[in-house]
Amino acid sequence: MEAKVKKRTKPSSPIKMQNYNSKFKNTIILLIIGFALFPVITFAAILYLEPSSGEYQPGDTFLVEMKIDTEGECINTIEANLSFSQDILKAVDFSQGKSIITLWVKSPEINQEKGEISFRGGIPGGYCGRIPGDPEASNSLGKIIFRIPGMIVGELMESSAEVKILDTSQILLNDGLGTKAKLTTQGATFKILSKLEPSKDEWQEELEKDNIPPEPFEIETQQTPAIFEGKYFITFSTTDKQTGVDYYEVKEGKRDWQTAESPYLLEDQRLQSIIKVKAVDKTGNERIAEYTPEIPKRTFLYWIIILVLIGVGIFWWILKRIKK
Amino acid sequence: MLLYSGKSIIRLLIIPILLGLIFSPIFFPFQEVQADNLSTSVTVSITGPVCGNGVVESGEQCDDGGSNGPCPAVCSTSCTINSCGGGGGGYVPPPTVTKVIIQGKAYPQAEITLLEDGKVVTTKKADTLANFEIEIADITAGIWTFGIWAEDKDGRKSITFSFTTSVTAGVTTTVSGIFIPPTIELSKVSLQKGETLNIFGQTAPESEISISVESPEIVKKTIATEEGNWDYSFDTGILDEGSYTTRAKATSPEGLLSSYSEVLSFYIGKGVPGVICPNADLNGDGKVNLIDFSILLYWWGKDDSCSDQNGNGVVDLPDFSIMMYYWTG
Repeated sequence: MEAKVKKRTKPSSPIKMQNYNSKFKNTIILLIIGFALFPVITFAAILYLEPSSGEYQPGDTFLVEMKIDTEGECINTIEANLSFSQDILKAVDFSQGKSIITLWVKSPEINQEKGEISFRGGIPGGYCGRIPGDPEASNSLGKIIFRIPGMIVGELMESSAEVKILDTSQILLNDGLGTKAKLTTQGATFKILSKLEPSKDEWQEELEKDNIPPEPFEIETQQTPAIFEGKYFITFSTTDKQTGVDYYEVKEGKRDWQTAESPYLLEDQRLQSIIKVKAVDKTGNERIAEYTPEIPKRTFLYWIIILVLIGVGIFWWILKRIKK
Repeated sequence: MLLYSGKSIIRLLIIPILLGLIFSPIFFPFQEVQADNLSTSVTVSITGPVCGNGVVESGEQCDDGGSNGPCPAVCSTSCTINSCGGGGGGYVPPPTVTKVIIQGKAYPQAEITLLEDGKVVTTKKADTLANFEIEIADITAGIWTFGIWAEDKDGRKSITFSFTTSVTAGVTTTVSGIFIPPTIELSKVSLQKGETLNIFGQTAPESEISISVESPEIVKKTIATEEGNWDYSFDTGILDEGSYTTRAKATSPEGLLSSYSEVLSFYIGKGVPGVICPNADLNGDGKVNLIDFSILLYWWGKDDSCSDQNGNGVVDLPDFSIMMYYWTG
């Protein structure tokens, strides 16, 4: 054994050394050729969670922010599918307040039984990452609010909970073609400790700070043969910069408020009712937009024209009678 | 040595493949990014009171620098006077204005349209040198996505240039260095091989235009006139029969960089296949906005020749992405 070791450690002869050098050179050349021939795709958007780890205890409510790093590329569409340890964590809400997504194809949906969260949305004109000088990291897609049920656990019951971003998630480039971007995901793991301190509620703290209603918005009435069999419908959309829009309600004339989504098929197809849309944020702050249809005005104008025509007719008839 | 035997030739082919696949990720940071990276000159700066710098500025009641904090400190972390008991004066703080100023370049006398979170908020004309400045007063603090598109003197519309930034309460956020992508038009969309294709549009005066025809990518350059017009006569003799795309980006004489313009297609050889509802304008009103989004949602998961922008037989996420690209608000 020792002899073998000695043999190996024996300095190489100059010829052998030359041979190694040439082999080394060849390897370097081949490495360069290989590298040139097969460059990796250098762009990959990253979907990640913040914080990616932490220690919480039963009774705590905490926020996990889903963020994106576009690696300098422009993207415009995001589909996110997440799973979480549903036996330990309870997903109580999803806040869109600081999200860069402004149009939601599918609003965030929580399935507690399956331990799944999903949403789809986009940014008109695209999102190309953080601008130099931006004071905040403007790359949030939304915040998931998790609660750890306040059961009594002993030290033996200490456990960890996972939140994963699933492979079914996708990001599309802002290239006018709907090209799928390469995607990397990073989940989060949280340690659940025995209860030692009073519970924390990060979500309640955010809700208490929010006293600003959703942003002003407008209602548009539309009719197109393409949808709703050519019937009248309305469109509306707004954002809330603090806790996010929770839901919308629509009221037509004297009818009751009812929860609705855009596009909304109008019940009053004669367009004679004042339409109101209420956007309510997670705290309950409200913003109401109102739309007065133009058609009743047109009807009023129509009757005025009719009356004027009748008046002219009577005047002409009287004139004719006087002439006779 | 290696090149002389058959074995060596195989080694020469296989080893680089394996080495390339194994080691290329190591060189990741040194490689040129293959994707279309956004390299514009947009920057954000903030002017206004900075709470915690020890100077009482406009909109602040007090500022004790590092001593700001809860009672018993006199000044809070938000630079308001703490009410620590014992009554106080009737001081009314001056109103603070949260403002955004957007500065940049488009085309001479171009009509600029500004979107906030996808909605049109205002329009403004650029001056004869293509400069524009738009001020948005009393905006809510938070994360905003601003979009800007311009219409040139000949009625061509640019693509929407978007950027996302946080707006801080009580200060002025200035976004500068914006250079709207050039407008672009083609003299023909269907040509015979060897015919000359005129690619033209508008940008800021005397800007350098980089036109790229793909694929494979061929880059040509030209300089815009003093009026901001640019054109390039492209010889299609170098292209094979098939379909191609072209787009352009600009660099202003001051060094501002635009992102790429709208992508246009042209064909060498046979005719152009018909395009139904081009550029995601599903109701054909010349705008891409919430109405078109509603139509898309209505047909979601179904087959509709108009909403199915990429023609894959179902209205799905790529069609939504195409709509986001062409969004005008």
